[in-house]
Amino acid sequence: MSYVGSILSGFWSLLNGLGITARHFGRKNVTLTYPHEKPELSGEFRSLISLIQLPELGTHDCVACLQCEKICPSYCIKIEGGKVEGMKRKRASKFEVDFALCSLCGLCIDVCPTDTLEYSKLYDEAGYEREWVFDLLDPFESLEEEFREKQREVDAKVAAEKAKKKAAALQAKAEAEAAAAQDSPTSGGEVQS
Amino acid sequence: MNSGVLDTLQRGVEEETYYLNMGPQHPSMHGVLRLLLHMRGEMVLECEPIIGYAHRAHEKMAENRSYIQFLPNTSRIDYLSGMIYNIAFCQAIEKMAGIDVPERAEVIRVIVCELNRIQSHLLWFGTFLLDIGGITPFLYCFDDREEILGILDRVSGSRLTYSYGRFGGVTADIDDVFISQTRSFLDRLRGRLPMYEGLVTKNVIFRDRCKGVGVITVDQARAYGVTGPVLRASGVAYDVRKAEPYGVYDRYDFEIPTRTSGDCLARYEVRVAEMEQSCRIIEQALDALPEGAIEPAKMVKKVKSAAGEYYFAVESARGHFGMYIVSDGTDVASRIKLRTPSFSVMSAAPDVLKGTMIADVIAIVGSVDVVLPEIDR
Repeated sequence: MSYVGSILSGFWSLLNGLGITARHFGRKNVTLTYPHEKPELSGEFRSLISLIQLPELGTHDCVACLQCEKICPSYCIKIEGGKVEGMKRKRASKFEVDFALCSLCGLCIDVCPTDTLEYSKLYDEAGYEREWVFDLLDPFESLEEEFREKQREVDAKVAAEKAKKKAAALQAKAEAEAAAAQDSPTSGGEVQS
Repeated sequence: MNSGVLDTLQRGVEEETYYLNMGPQHPSMHGVLRLLLHMRGEMVLECEPIIGYAHRAHEKMAENRSYIQFLPNTSRIDYLSGMIYNIAFCQAIEKMAGIDVPERAEVIRVIVCELNRIQSHLLWFGTFLLDIGGITPFLYCFDDREEILGILDRVSGSRLTYSYGRFGGVTADIDDVFISQTRSFLDRLRGRLPMYEGLVTKNVIFRDRCKGVGVITVDQARAYGVTGPVLRASGVAYDVRKAEPYGVYDRYDFEIPTRTSGDCLARYEVRVAEMEQSCRIIEQALDALPEGAIEPAKMVKKVKSAAGEYYFAVESARGHFGMYIVSDGTDVASRIKLRTPSFSVMSAAPDVLKGTMIADVIAIVGSVDVVLPEIDR
């Protein structure tokens, strides 16, 4: 290409680019002026984990199995808990998460046997210290006593029913054996002993 | 480089040399790369990359935690292709332990990985042009990239560090909204590519800046183990997706774009062509999306594997990424070696940058697309 030709074609390419940029002037703004405008969070947005209030229980269902504590790659979950007087299932008494350490991988949620963990939608918070600990049981504190009362009743009922059934089964067994002993007198002595 | 220009410059400056530190805190250096340049005037006599500023001991961490606990780390090795690395680790473990993956999960993996690849190339496109002085394309391509991040955020819950893969599947299923969003994104990107071509590829300043600059020859690339778009720009059609198909990549029809000149312009063209190929793969995958489960009925918490050594490689956005796992039969790896593509590219830098101008150093380092956390690990 000649000297003049290359100048002309170069100039044309620049004008072409300028034209493309000029067309963008009429476009709608794509930026968001946070914090005056807030972005819409996607449904799957991952933030600090939280306990789910299950409708059938009225509260969370953390049984302090410690599976999430064991699988956590950042070792940021600390759970205490154990047997509660008069109740069959174990209950957590402390569920601490250090959000400063959490890497939001979601393994704890996948591993939970009672499916009582989910992601919260907390997103515009900041931690100011090295440790940024949340106790996930705090929102459930007022519900706990009521739940325990109820659960004790349910457990007691279940236990009573079970005991009743067991007694009935034992009695039926004894009766059947007694009947069998009467039918065959040769083995009767053994049964009574 | 025109040798006549070099000679003139050499004669022009005094015979004095000096050292120049480029980075680790340099506005147009990528991440925390530090180049120690031995200069005469504006010419680079020798170049020594100094790495390690973003070392986080991922390989050592892998020796101290179970396989599943290492999963979130994989997204953080290379933060620009987090999805590809995350899924690659899952696939490596599946190969090691013989875990079956449902058909639907395999196809979803291909879709999200290719979206991730486009996202990485778009970011490279923007920052490369920003490095060599074009601010406008950066703004446009980040607009496109934002859409991909939104799509991936909707399905995985995160924009960069996905942790989306699980051993034997993926965490969340894709729905109709995802499919329609992805399709409309592909249409949008295809509509924008001609605009980028007019704005950048045909731009005479850009072409003159990149043509013949930073040539990596085939022999150099082979000698240093350079892979990915950089190798393909030198003329070798090597792509792990074709050479050793993993997952379900053998089902899809796509090409490996190659150029022969091996300069910055060739690398640019290869990456832009690759975006189009990724679009083709996603389209085919969306068309033939099988129904079914996306993960095994019971979550794989403990990986059972026979003692031995396993290697698994994928094509990341930057090239051949391999995981070499030494297992002693327990749930914790004895050793995991990560073979990252950026490291190989960076090791070729002293050879390539020798004898170039300082202004071209920026263009060359920008065009090879290195991610420093991946080099340092």
